[in-house]
Amino acid sequence: MLPPFSRRTPLAWLNLTHDRRRFVTSLSGVGFAVLLMFLFTGFKNALYDSQVQLINQLNGDIVIINRLKNNMFVPRAFARRRLYQAQAFPGVEAAYPVYLSDVRWKNPITQQARPVRVLAFNLADPVLTLPEVQANLAALQMPNTALIDERARAEVGPREAGIITELADREIRIVGTFRLGTDFASGNGNLIMSDQNFLRYFADRGPEESDRSFATVDIGLIRVSPGVDVDALVAQLQAALPNDVRVMRRSGPGDSLEAQEREYWRDSTNIAFVFSLLTAMSFVVGIILVYQILYTDVADHWAEYATLKAMGYTNRFLFGVVIQEALILSALGFIPGALVGRLLYGGAASVTGLLFQMTVDRVLTLYAMCFVMCLISGAIAVHKVQSADPAEVFS
Amino acid sequence: METPHNLSLPQSTAIAEIKDAAVHIKNLNYSFGRGDLCKQVLYDINLTLPRGQIVIMTGPSGSGKTTLLTLIGALRSAQEGSLRVLNQEIVGLSNRQLVEVRRNIGFIFQAHNLFESLTAAQNVEMAVELTGEFATKRDQATAILTQVGLKDRVDYKPDALSGGQKQRVAIARALVNQPRLILADEPTAALDKKSGRDVVTLMQKLAKEQGKTILMVTHDNRILDVADRIINLVDGRLESDETLDTFVTTHDPKVLDRRMFIL
Ligand SMILES: Nc1ncnc2c1ncn2[C@@H]1O[C@H](COP(=O)(O)OP(=O)(O)OP(=O)(O)O)[C@@H](O)[C@H]1O
Ligand SMILES: [Mg+2]
Repeated sequence: MLPPFSRRTPLAWLNLTHDRRRFVTSLSGVGFAVLLMFLFTGFKNALYDSQVQLINQLNGDIVIINRLKNNMFVPRAFARRRLYQAQAFPGVEAAYPVYLSDVRWKNPITQQARPVRVLAFNLADPVLTLPEVQANLAALQMPNTALIDERARAEVGPREAGIITELADREIRIVGTFRLGTDFASGNGNLIMSDQNFLRYFADRGPEESDRSFATVDIGLIRVSPGVDVDALVAQLQAALPNDVRVMRRSGPGDSLEAQEREYWRDSTNIAFVFSLLTAMSFVVGIILVYQILYTDVADHWAEYATLKAMGYTNRFLFGVVIQEALILSALGFIPGALVGRLLYGGAASVTGLLFQMTVDRVLTLYAMCFVMCLISGAIAVHKVQSADPAEVFS
Repeated sequence: METPHNLSLPQSTAIAEIKDAAVHIKNLNYSFGRGDLCKQVLYDINLTLPRGQIVIMTGPSGSGKTTLLTLIGALRSAQEGSLRVLNQEIVGLSNRQLVEVRRNIGFIFQAHNLFESLTAAQNVEMAVELTGEFATKRDQATAILTQVGLKDRVDYKPDALSGGQKQRVAIARALVNQPRLILADEPTAALDKKSGRDVVTLMQKLAKEQGKTILMVTHDNRILDVADRIINLVDGRLESDETLDTFVTTHDPKVLDRRMFIL
């Protein structure tokens, strides 16, 4: 029968905190390992999350794309009449065409050309519900205007309203900004314009580029009437439409544009592996650090621990002390690590334009890792305490 | 000196007294190591410590005093002979059972071995917690610290205590659970003359008040007078076993082995 924790002398806590300076050093060590894990998993997640942030902003439950467009990089459009066909289905409330194109943008300061991605749609269609987009609809009606992403990379120059520069060698005026972020397919950032302006820039781009018209669409966005079973509608549409298009949910697990994008980047790149490896290395560094801390404590109190054994304390009790020390370190070291990690996420997000999300379950997962890390170190160090020979303190 | 106990204990002591003895050792041999490296350090030890006796063990360095003490204290397991401690045979006990035996013994070491991170009271309370008396642990610690003269040092950490005070905390820790047997290995070695004297007198006083058995190893001949009985271990064998008076008359200081009495 164990007595309530509070009634025991909190030996683990007192031993750890007795030497303040050493305690702070220990916590910084654990915090550092936690920070590394935060950064590496953060980059990994950011790279994947960023790929789907545009998809997640699209205002519709179902998308139609060209069958060959197995990721957002592939510039394959499909015939717009597929959208009209889809629109005829019961349960389909509306079908909006979305046009995408990569194009050169001239940095107004350095005059250097940088690739950006243009996103265009009929301004009457609520394709993007971003408030900044809604607020600037009137301005976007004007010829040769666009909105620029505030979170585009610094390479594109100032990201603010009033900029006048060149897009595809044609003058463009920035009339406002929005916040989205970059991904692999968006070059240095995103622009938003009306479908009318899209035609102005992309209908005739010279011999090397394919001409764009309203006859082809990059993404068809379908709004579903309330109460309709989305999965059933997806199946219906896919069965009815010709095989040159794919119909799927916009987001969510399973067969969706979001999942397809995540899978594509997971399968076609080593990013996950590299960052997982780095995370694992931080984990090991953490184990070594915490082991050092615990081992030092054990070594410094060798005679005292042996005395406890001579007094009649069991190995299990000493085991408990070391494990408690490990847990205290994991909890208190995690907090500064996570806080600094949060700051760095903000910094990294603004530098790269990637999406750094610190969600609750990610934080919990990392704490679990930190906990296991300290537990492993504790288990190794415990080995040491258990070999404390009570007969030794006599000699 | 005033003790009425039978001081020169031959093996023929009455059965009843043996049964009640704090320690009863018969034909104990002990060796370190195994095989070719096997080195015997204790040879055929026969020793009975009746309750309430204060026994000092002397002997040259390396003669096996500490080894004998750790065997009696269940800190090592003996393989041969018989070793009864507080009416329990401990030869052949498992490690777990040995831990149980230790709880009834008070240990005092040459080093105080106090946790620097704990106050005097907390160090003592660590011992009380073994008995599960959590509600009264603070009172018990304060009471025993008062008895060893540290009433106003209860909440000091070892850092802020002198060597003698630290050793008194260690004594308080050894005594707080009222062990019937106290084993001390050179408890005064790290102390100056006066503190050493104080510590030993204190142990003697507490032992006499509560009828405890003390077995103390010491090289310090200035404290021999607290003993009821002095045993001498030489090369792993008990050489002499006598009362203080005989010891003093037969051991003229001028011919004393210098290794035995380091001043
Ligand atoms: N763990 C051990 N392993 C092997 N031999 C040991 C061990 N501990 C002690 N010995 C040997 O056993 C013998 C007795 O040692 P012990 O420590 O009991 O002597 P002692 O009488 O306490 O000496 P001192 O007065 O110097 O403390 C010595 O020869 C020593 O070298
Ligand atoms: Mg010794």
